[in-house]
Formats: sequence, C-alpha cells, structure tokens
Amino acid sequence: MIHSLFLINCSGDIFLEKHWKSVVSQSVCDYFFEAQEKAADVENVPPVISTPHHYLISIYRDKLFFVSVIQTEVPPLFVIEFLHRVADTFQDYFGECSEAAIKDNVVIVYELLEEMLDNGFPLATESNILKELIKPPTILRSVVNSITGSSNVGDTLPTGQLSNIPWRRAGVKYTNNEAYFDVIEEIDAIIDKSGSTVFAEIQGVIDACIKLSGMPDLSLSFMNPRLLDDVSFHPCIRFKRWESERVLSFIPPDGNFRLISYRVSSQNLVAIPVYVKHNISFKENSSCGRFDITIGPKQNMGKTVEGITVTVHMPKVVLNMNLTPTQGSYTFDPVTKVLTWDIGKITPQKLPSLKGLVNLQSGAPKPEENPSLNIQFKIQQLAISGLKVNRLDMYGEKYKPFKGVKYITKAGKFQVRT
Amino acid sequence: MPYLGSEDVVKELKKALCNPHIQADRPRYRNVIQRVIRHMTQGVDMSSIFMEMVKASATVDIVQKKLVYLYMCTYAPLKPDLALLAINTLCKDCSDPNPMVRGLALRSMCGLRMPGVQEYIQQPILNGLRDKASYVRRVAVLGCAKMYNLHGDSEVDGALVNELYSLLRDQDPIVVVNCLRALEEILKHEGGVVINKPIAHHLLNRMPDLDQWGQAEVLGFLLRYQPRSEEELFAILNLLDSSLQSSSPAVVMAATKLFLVLAKEFPHVQTDVLVRVKGPLLTACSSESRELCFAALCHVRRILRSLPGHFSSHYKKFFCSYSEPHYIKLQKVEVLCELVNDENVQQVLEELRDYCTDVSADLAQAAIFAIGGIARTYTDQCVQILTELLVLRQEHITSAVVQTFRNLVWLCPQCTEAVCRALPGCEENIQDSEGKQALIWLLGVHGETIPNAPYVLEDFVESVKAETFPAVKMELLTALLRLFLSRPAECQDMLGRLLYYCIEEEKDMAVRDRGLFYYRLLLTGIDEVKRILCSPKSDPSLGLLEDQAERPVSSWVSEFNTLVPMYSKACWAAISSLQVSESRGLEAMGTGVLSTSGSLVSENKEELQPLSDSGSFLLVPNGQLTAEQFEKTWLSLEVAHQEVLPWQGVAHPDTIQTALQMVNIQPIALSKAGVQPWKAYLSAQDGAGCLFLTELLLDPEHSQVHLSVKQSQDKTEALNSFISVLKTVIGTIVDIKS
Repeated sequence: MIHSLFLINCSGDIFLEKHWKSVVSQSVCDYFFEAQEKAADVENVPPVISTPHHYLISIYRDKLFFVSVIQTEVPPLFVIEFLHRVADTFQDYFGECSEAAIKDNVVIVYELLEEMLDNGFPLATESNILKELIKPPTILRSVVNSITGSSNVGDTLPTGQLSNIPWRRAGVKYTNNEAYFDVIEEIDAIIDKSGSTVFAEIQGVIDACIKLSGMPDLSLSFMNPRLLDDVSFHPCIRFKRWESERVLSFIPPDGNFRLISYRVSSQNLVAIPVYVKHNISFKENSSCGRFDITIGPKQNMGKTVEGITVTVHMPKVVLNMNLTPTQGSYTFDPVTKVLTWDIGKITPQKLPSLKGLVNLQSGAPKPEENPSLNIQFKIQQLAISGLKVNRLDMYGEKYKPFKGVKYITKAGKFQVRT
Repeated sequence: MPYLGSEDVVKELKKALCNPHIQADRPRYRNVIQRVIRHMTQGVDMSSIFMEMVKASATVDIVQKKLVYLYMCTYAPLKPDLALLAINTLCKDCSDPNPMVRGLALRSMCGLRMPGVQEYIQQPILNGLRDKASYVRRVAVLGCAKMYNLHGDSEVDGALVNELYSLLRDQDPIVVVNCLRALEEILKHEGGVVINKPIAHHLLNRMPDLDQWGQAEVLGFLLRYQPRSEEELFAILNLLDSSLQSSSPAVVMAATKLFLVLAKEFPHVQTDVLVRVKGPLLTACSSESRELCFAALCHVRRILRSLPGHFSSHYKKFFCSYSEPHYIKLQKVEVLCELVNDENVQQVLEELRDYCTDVSADLAQAAIFAIGGIARTYTDQCVQILTELLVLRQEHITSAVVQTFRNLVWLCPQCTEAVCRALPGCEENIQDSEGKQALIWLLGVHGETIPNAPYVLEDFVESVKAETFPAVKMELLTALLRLFLSRPAECQDMLGRLLYYCIEEEKDMAVRDRGLFYYRLLLTGIDEVKRILCSPKSDPSLGLLEDQAERPVSSWVSEFNTLVPMYSKACWAAISSLQVSESRGLEAMGTGVLSTSGSLVSENKEELQPLSDSGSFLLVPNGQLTAEQFEKTWLSLEVAHQEVLPWQGVAHPDTIQTALQMVNIQPIALSKAGVQPWKAYLSAQDGAGCLFLTELLLDPEHSQVHLSVKQSQDKTEALNSFISVLKTVIGTIVDIKS
C-alpha cells in the first residue's frame, strides 16, 4: 500500500526516507517540488500528485511534508489518516514533530516506522502498544540507561497484543485508580461585517485519561445527550447501547485516548463568546488608513474569556502600522504583513482596544478588500454547547476509582470579516 | 568533534567496532552502532564495515540487534556474498526463545532484497506461520508475500496459499488482516483473494476486534462478496451499521462504499446510507487536517451528482475560511455552486461575490465561473453581480466575466440584452487569450445590438500584427465576417484590411488558411456566406451536455473512496496498466467525456450547425410520441432501412440521449447502461411531418450496433438524410468514447 515515505522540510531538503518495498529513488520527489513551485505558497501543494509511475500523497504538518509514494489504487483517506497518525506518534514521542526532533531521534524514528508499517501495511499504531515496543526517549531514561546499560526497547512482547480486546492489555495494575475526562469544544465561526453570524458550529471531543486496574467496564452518561449532532466513537464503545439509551458504555484502553468526537451545528445553539467592533478604512489616493478594533465579551455564561490573540493578515500595500493597544502588546511583521495582538483576559469594565494609523505604499491603489481578523481565545470550565456529564459508573472491578471531568472551550477557525 | 570526511568517519567507526574494549562495554558498543546508523541515514556510504556489523548482531541486546538488522537490510543488496553470513545469524535468531527476537529476525530476513535469499527464508517463514506468538505469525504471513515478490514470476505455491487461507481463522486479528493482504499480493494475477460465504461471514464477525486500518481494509475486501439472498444482504448491512459511525474517516468511507455497492438493487437504501454519512462527511470537511478535508470535499462533489440537494441545508459549511489553502477553497466554490436552491441562493451569491475580489486570481476566477454556473438557473441576479464586477477594471476579473457571459448568452438567450449593455469598455481590461476570444465572439455574434462593436473590433484589427495568440486572430476573422453581414457599411473596410493581413503577412498557417477560406467564401456571394455563417445565436439544449443531469449512484460508486475523485481517472489508468480491467478503462473514457464537456460544446457547435441548418432536411423538435403511440406505429410499419455500424464499449444512456436531443431525435425508451441486450427506440419527425422510428440494438461481441429505421411516409431522400444525421450522431458518440 505505502511504498516509501519521504520527509521534506520547508526549504525542500529530503531529510529522511524509508522504503518498505523496493527502493524508490529520491528523484520521485522532483514531481512534488515541481508542484510546490507551481503553487504560489508552499502550503498550497495539492495532497495528491500523479507522476508517471507513482502517486504521491502528502500531508503538511508543523512545517514538514510527509510524502508517501503509492503504486496501486488506494483509499485516499486511509493513507492521509495514516500519515497523520505517523506525525501524531512523533509528536507523542518527541514532544514536537519538527525536523530537529526527528533528526535527533533518527534511530527511534526508524524503529517506529518499522513497527508501524510492514510491507506497506499499517501494523501497530496505538500509542500505548507502540510505547511498550519502543520506549520514548526521556532525559532521565537515557541517563539511567547509560549507567545500567539497559535497553531502550521492551524485551518482552507487549501483553496487550495477546489479550482478547485489542486496545487493552491484560494485567494492568495501578495503586491510584483514576479516570479523567476532558470535554474540549472548539468554536468554528465566520462573523460578517455587521457582527451577525454567517456560520458557526462547535467541534467537540472528549479525551480520556484512564488509569484503572484490571478490566473495568465503564458507562458514562450525559445530562443532555440529544445535543450531540454527529458523534464518532472510539472502537471500544458499544454502539448499540448508545443507540438505544444514549449512554457511552465501554472497556477503556489503558492511558490516554480520544473517547468520542462530536459536532453541534444547529446555529441557534452555538453561542459566540466575543464580539468585535472594528473600523478599518483606507483612504483613496492617500498613503494612510485608519485601524481601530475593540473586543468585548458576549454570551460567555459568566466565565472569563482568556488567552485572546487577534491575528490579521494586512493587504500587501501596507508598509507599517502605528497602533496603541489599551491592553496587551502587538507586533506587525512588515515582511509577511501579519499583525498579531496578544490581549490576554477581557475585563468587562475596560474593553481592550487597538487603534492607530496604517501606512500604505504611496501611489499604490487602495486595497479592495478589508482584511479578516482571526481570533483565538479560551474559556476554562465551560463547554459552550452546554454539554454536561451526568455520571460515570464502573462495573467489573471492586475498587473505587477517582473520577474527574474538566471542560474547556477554545476558538477553532474563528474569523471576523471587516 | 572535528569535521571528518566520510572516509575518515568510516575508518574511525570501523576501528571502534573492532575494539574489544568497546565490544565488551554494551552501552558504548551500541552507541557506536547508533552512530553508524545515523551516518547511514544521512547518506554516507557505510557498506565497507558490513563484516564488523554482522559480528555485532550476535548479541543479547535487542536494540543493538534491531539496529544491525536495519543496517543489513540497507546494504545487503550491495554485498550479497557477505550477506550470506548475516543470514546465518538471522536463522539462528529465528529460533530464539524471545518472540520479539524471532519476529525481528524473520522480518529482517524477508527484507533482505537480494537474489538467492528465498531458499534460506522459506523454512523460517513456514515455521513462523505456526509460531505460538502472534507477533511472529504476523511477520511470517507478510513474509510470504515478500518471498513471493522475490521469486518474481514463479508459480504460486498452492500449499502456502492454503495455509494462508486457513490462517484467516487465526485468533489474532492482525494476523487475519495480514493474511488477506498477503493473499491479495500473491494471487494478484488470479484476481486477488477470493471471498466466499464462510470467509465473508467470518470476517464480518471479527470486525469489532480489528483496529481501524484492519476494518477499513476488510470492508474493501468484502466488496468482492455478493450476498446470495436479500435476507443475507440486510443481515450484513445490520452487522456493519456501526462502521458508518466510526471515528476513523477511512472506515466510514470504506463502509459507505460497501453499503452502496451491496445495496445496488435498492436505491432507497443507497439514499438512506448517504443521508447517514452526511454527518461524518461534513465533519471530515471541517477537519483540522486539510488533506482529509480536501479528500472529503472531493467525495461530496461525487455524491452531489446523484443527490443534487443533499447538502443544501448545510451550505454554510462550504463557505471558505480565510486561512484555508487554495485547493480546498476551489473545491468549496465548486460545491457551493451545486448546492444552490431558492432559499439559499441569495446568501451563496453574496458569499461568492466576496471571493471574486480575492487576492488569488485563481480563486477569483473560479468564483466568477461558479456564479456563471448558478446563472443558468438564477440568471438575472447573477448577471447583475457579474456586471458590477466589471466596474473594478481588474484584468483577471474582466476576462473571467466576459468568458462567463459568452457561455451564458449561448445557454440563456434571455440575458443577451443585459450582457450587451455591459460589454462596452471591457476591451481595455482584457489581456489574456481566453478573455479576448470570448469578447470577440460576443461582439461578432451580437454586434448588431452593441453600438460600438465595429470600433472595438477595429482596434483589434489595428493591433493584429502585435497579437500573439493565433486563436484570437481566428476568432477575430470569424467575428468580423459575421458583423460584416449585419453592419456591412462599418465593417467592409477593416474586413478587407484584416483579410489582406491574414493572407499576405500572417505566418501561422491555420490563421492564413482560415483567411483564405473566408475570402473564397465571400467570392461565392453574400447569400451563401449568410447561409453558412449565421447559425442560431443560442441553443439551450447544449446545456444538457454541460449540466449533467442527475446520475444514478451506481455510475460513480466504483470510484468512491479511491483516488479517482481527487484525480482524473485517465491518468491513473495509464499508471497502473497491469490492473486496468476492460470495464474500468471504459469508464475512464466515460468520465473523460464529461470532464471535457466544456470543450465539447465548442466543437459540437460547429459540427452540428450544418446538420440543423442544411435547409433541405430539418428535423423538428415537437416530434414527441408517447410510448404506446410509438409501439402502435412501430408494429404497423415495415422496416425501411437496416444497417450495421461500428460501436465500442457500453452505452451510456445519458450521453446518447443528450446527443440525440441536440439534433431533435427523441429517445422513447433506452435500456440501462450495461444491460444485455442493450436496446433503444428513437423517434423523430421532419418538417414535412414524416415520422422516423428507429431501433438501436447493441451487439457487444462484434462491437456493432444494428440500426433499423421505419418511416411513416415513403420518401427515400428524407430517409437517407435522416440516416446520415443519425450516423453522424452515433459516429460522434463513438468518437468521444475512443
């Protein structure tokens, strides 16, 4: 299925290659570079490129391209999803998925790729099983290893692969039995000039961290399960139970995993927690313009909106900006024309604003379109959809676990047009 | 560390590997080996220390073993004689008590890409298949496939295949999936692994145990199984129901395809399935991963072909966000254009209007063309938006708008007046060939209603020497000649100058020939020129070719969840020539027809004019009969003419129907694509009221189509004309196909 994999950085160096079947020459990547040249921006390279003998399916993650070489017809989503899983695994192992991290750990990277694919087919991709096969590098461990001479690899077979439930190993033991759930919701929205919502929806996930001994059988119920529009499940969840009773019933994997992801898309249910007042104008035949934005809270259910950052891609003709923030700090990069305003928290008494003048290239025509504002924010202890966990019950084991649920709301692709 | 040339590095490492002190100290020994691997991955040639590395594999340290195996697999093809030494060690490791070592050794042995290794690996693989550790069995099963690939074309080992089939019952789910994968490769010349009823049901029962990759692949293999009865079919669908709800988009897509294929006899089930996966697809469309998003959008477009209104209520999902890459934005614009209905048309148009001024010229033009597509239904609103865009005086925008106008005027004649009012002034802002051609065409065809048309064309004639695109010159010749017919006084002089230039000075042969052709045509007299050049100014029926009518799900289901929706099939067929079965190839051509329909229009335009304008023989459009009337008339008449024409491939009723309707031949009944025997009944009527009834019977074995025509009045001349029209149409369809 996947013949070879090339990792390419933004400046076009192939810094890692791995072949599962015969060796495919690096020159196959020339087709990729050609496509990259054609696309004005590196990020605009289409994910599927055809070459005379192969197809190249690539993903772009953290300024790296993962380019896979395909020789037979494949389901594209399968390959794309797998490549993302590879990147996720690197992230998981090295803390970041960057060229430096991969080069530093090149030996582990090869070990991982060897275990994740055999003959081009995905084998072990579950993080907890991989970690038993190949121990992730930590500073402490490498020190210990160099003293004791013990290896980086488990020399026993991961037991999980032999249990009847593929995602859980047998014989798990913890002294503190804990089960934590994070309900994380991201708001994707487009707000138009006048402040009305063009489009809004919530993408939610429930991530779990389960450290429970034995074979616990959990069921998680919600106060308002009907809220969830479109739910997709971890394979451990019993689908029939959800269909009949709207209860999540499952034997959990050990460790961290994503329990469900869901969507809330009916627009009247999506609260928009911030509003923006903006006045951005460029005068005809003049080399300056005005810029004035103010941000305020709205529909935030009494919680504080924090970690606010506003990013604006200004038009090409903007040379520089002279602005004064009432709160936080701003930077303007005259090369990429990106304005970033780091605000922090909103206090309703004094709304943060950023105003000033924009210097334009003299003689250039006035920009046709006003820039869009991209906004990032966070609200702790609130699921903006109103989703609430009702209770968590455990069967099959005798001990009393410690349970916790945390809610957090974030901005996803939150865009305000001006 | 001081900088060392690669040779020095190799020497130094070689020395370190031989040093008994280092060999005795495990961490240090491993460290040296890690450095070897590091250099190897950076492309330094490390093959000269192969001997030393083979020695290093004799260790209890599993990491060290792994690294050495990695090294050996890379360099074995370069050092086949030394690699045999390595095989010895590997064979020994294949019977190590630790299953992990056994697995690793076996995998590395199968990975040695060198000739002659098969005889050594056969026995360890066979042992591995019966190993008690599932880890080893997984490796051994795939090892069978690798061994087969090393053999090349040699015969398939029946015993091995049977063993693999029996391993499909293995306890370990990954061994099961690996067996399928291995069998698929080994049996690829025989059409891959066979899925019979027991295997299919066994796999269905194992589904819940598999990981997402396994599930996705097994769903793909299950496509080969055809349930015997309706009950069995629905039992299978029930079992797989939860796959449609999986968190992995790959599984959802694979399951959707399986559902659509299995339920091909039950269109309502297919529709239900598409409704069910609407949610997961929409989630994928707004996924964090832009590549997933792109793939999902491509599939949404496929689905929209069969269920045009399917995503209409979610149209806002397809609004572009500022930070998305272009390839996603372009897909979204295409989708938006297909989602329009009475309720959302206003919002969608406003949104598209915003994209028209995007910094990216590609996106702006795509948005303008999308508005042009919507204009076929909502003409007035769209023409107004497009007219307003002209005010911006941007080259790429004006060019795209004028091109859209040209197509619109052809398809929706009612907007001609508005377009003609908008045109003056455009010529200043058009530089590219496509835009110029469109503008010149409009000026030529509708010149009599645009006051300054001759003067605009005059400017083009003045600068014709500097014109770089031959296509523009051709268009200019035709347009000026047409305009000359309606406004001779203003055009005569410049037509003369243009013809003079084209004939005497032009270097491009095609343009010169066209000039000569028109010159000679003018010599035959103005009436003749009018007869030949003045074709109808619009023909909405041509829109049928472009506006693909709703297509059944089965027309695209075989391409669902493949690379085809993301890339044109024709390219793929060329690449994987070994697996192109005939039916696939033909389908590729089918899609080719539709994807290039844009250019078809312009070709057909010229091709079909003589047909409908030949004067002496004309088919009239109102020759519609009901099926009963047709049958009655058919039975009452004698066969007037019979003929056999060449034909290739399956018949695509849509294409045929569309093509026939363009020349006013009315299909009464058509068989579905692929049905044997394929038949079609057609009726047509000429100006004199004579009916022509036709039966087409496809004979795929001899690549022929049998044609029998019956006639209500006995007129040989009309019959011959009708048959020639029909033959041209069939010829055109066959041409398109090949």
